[in-house]
Amino acid sequence: MSILPLRLHSPWPATWSRQQRSSATMAAAALVLLLFLWGMAIPLSAAPEPIGNNAQLFAEGTRMTVLLTAVAGVAGVVLGVLAALGKTSKLPPLRWIASAYIWVMRGTPLLVQVLFVYFALPVLIPALQLSDFASACVALSLNVGAYNAEAIRAGLLAVPKGQIEAARSLGLSPGYTFIDVTFPQAFKISLPPLVNNLVALLKDSSLAYAIGVVELTNIGNRIQAATFQPLPILLTSACIYLLLTTVLTQISNAVERRFDVEGRVA
Amino acid sequence: MKPVMNISKAPSPSAGPPQAGLDPLGGSVGVLNGRRAPLITVDHVNKNFGAAHVLRDVCTHFNAGEVTVIVGASGSGKSTLLRTLNRLEKHDSGRIVVDGIEVCDDLKELDALRSEVGMVFQQFNLFPHLTVLENVTLAPRRVRKTPKPQAEQQAMELLERVGLQAHAHKHPFALSGGQQQRVAIARALAMAPRVMLFDEPTSALDPEMVKEVLDVMKQLATSGMTMIVVTHEMGFAREVSDRVLFIDQGRVAQDAPPEEFFGAQRNERIRSFLGQLSA
Repeated sequence: MSILPLRLHSPWPATWSRQQRSSATMAAAALVLLLFLWGMAIPLSAAPEPIGNNAQLFAEGTRMTVLLTAVAGVAGVVLGVLAALGKTSKLPPLRWIASAYIWVMRGTPLLVQVLFVYFALPVLIPALQLSDFASACVALSLNVGAYNAEAIRAGLLAVPKGQIEAARSLGLSPGYTFIDVTFPQAFKISLPPLVNNLVALLKDSSLAYAIGVVELTNIGNRIQAATFQPLPILLTSACIYLLLTTVLTQISNAVERRFDVEGRVA
Repeated sequence: MKPVMNISKAPSPSAGPPQAGLDPLGGSVGVLNGRRAPLITVDHVNKNFGAAHVLRDVCTHFNAGEVTVIVGASGSGKSTLLRTLNRLEKHDSGRIVVDGIEVCDDLKELDALRSEVGMVFQQFNLFPHLTVLENVTLAPRRVRKTPKPQAEQQAMELLERVGLQAHAHKHPFALSGGQQQRVAIARALAMAPRVMLFDEPTSALDPEMVKEVLDVMKQLATSGMTMIVVTHEMGFAREVSDRVLFIDQGRVAQDAPPEEFFGAQRNERIRSFLGQLSA
């Protein structure tokens, strides 16, 4: 699936393979995202007040939102894989640790977690006095990691047992069996729920506002407090979030297509 | 040396210099030693699944170069016996020794054992996310550390042998069941195993595809490969095997050459089993 404007006319040269189309989409979407982050202040500054005169601030806030999402998104996948492995492990202590982690992170509000890392953690362990940005990253990563863990675990469990038996009977070690056989298949199955979590993360990054991280929602609120014009400001913020999630969805669709060797994704 | 040659008794002018462990004729050492020591020994093996006693004190052996067919009713324990040989099932007591390696839980020994024992499954179990060529080259590259070009060359030779070189770059889903099973055989052969285990290799296939798989297996048997085959294909057993094992309620009820097994069968239980198959 291509980005919207490209879809109006026939999008791809007929000779392009599925993988080439997927790569092209990923590259194009990534380029659009970078251009947007880098140059969004230019079109925004043409808008009437209170958007035009605050275009730079909106751009900064957007960059911070994307940065939070990127850091927590990557860390969250790593945490998710580890926790999923822990929860499917044969060793009971690993299972307990992973289950407890998922239980706590899914069972408490993200806002409480963000506040806890920033305010309460230094009280417990003074060495863990993190900046507002680092605190938000830690809380968001831990939170999305717990949700990712269940998505990845579902993927791991969906890989047929015969696949592992075939790999092991060829003499592949448990490590290679995981890297070459189980994980690629599990990841493909987990991809749609993982994207779901990533889109939720992008929006949930707005909770970093509570500890003073200057991201998109925080910027919007500050400008609104100074200008008393909620409608244009909140509309702008919402549109920027929508644009970001759209680009994110395009990239993830392309990734999904790349894994879809059987041509099952419509 | 090509893996093909490891399993071929016939000398080939294209064969490279002989490797350690292989005799100059291309047959494996086990063929020569076969008369002295069996390749696989199964000694007083028991296996329970909960309350079900699936293998009862099984004692048998498999010689190098021999084709053994294991038959028996469904649930008799024949697949379980096969799967204990490379530890896909754990046996509860007794000893299994494959090519001098005792089947146990030690991971290193187990990986070494499994790379010497090829296995073909009823459901093919090809890796769906990899191409045919990647399926065949994965284990040699990871386990034997064969460089990619060499592994691919060997894989193409094996795919040619099973008649699928034209499909090397397809994914398994694009192949028929019979083609998938032939890829699975090539994948197992790529590790140049000492013995090949077949667990009902044609049971999941449409009738018209059974033949193409059996033909590949016959060709493999003629080349001198040690094979242990769990199957319901009595024609294959009669024609190709050196020996038929009949398993009944977890015991080896009969161990006989095919002429004897399919000839004047004296065992009432086996007569009725064979009668049901031909009915």
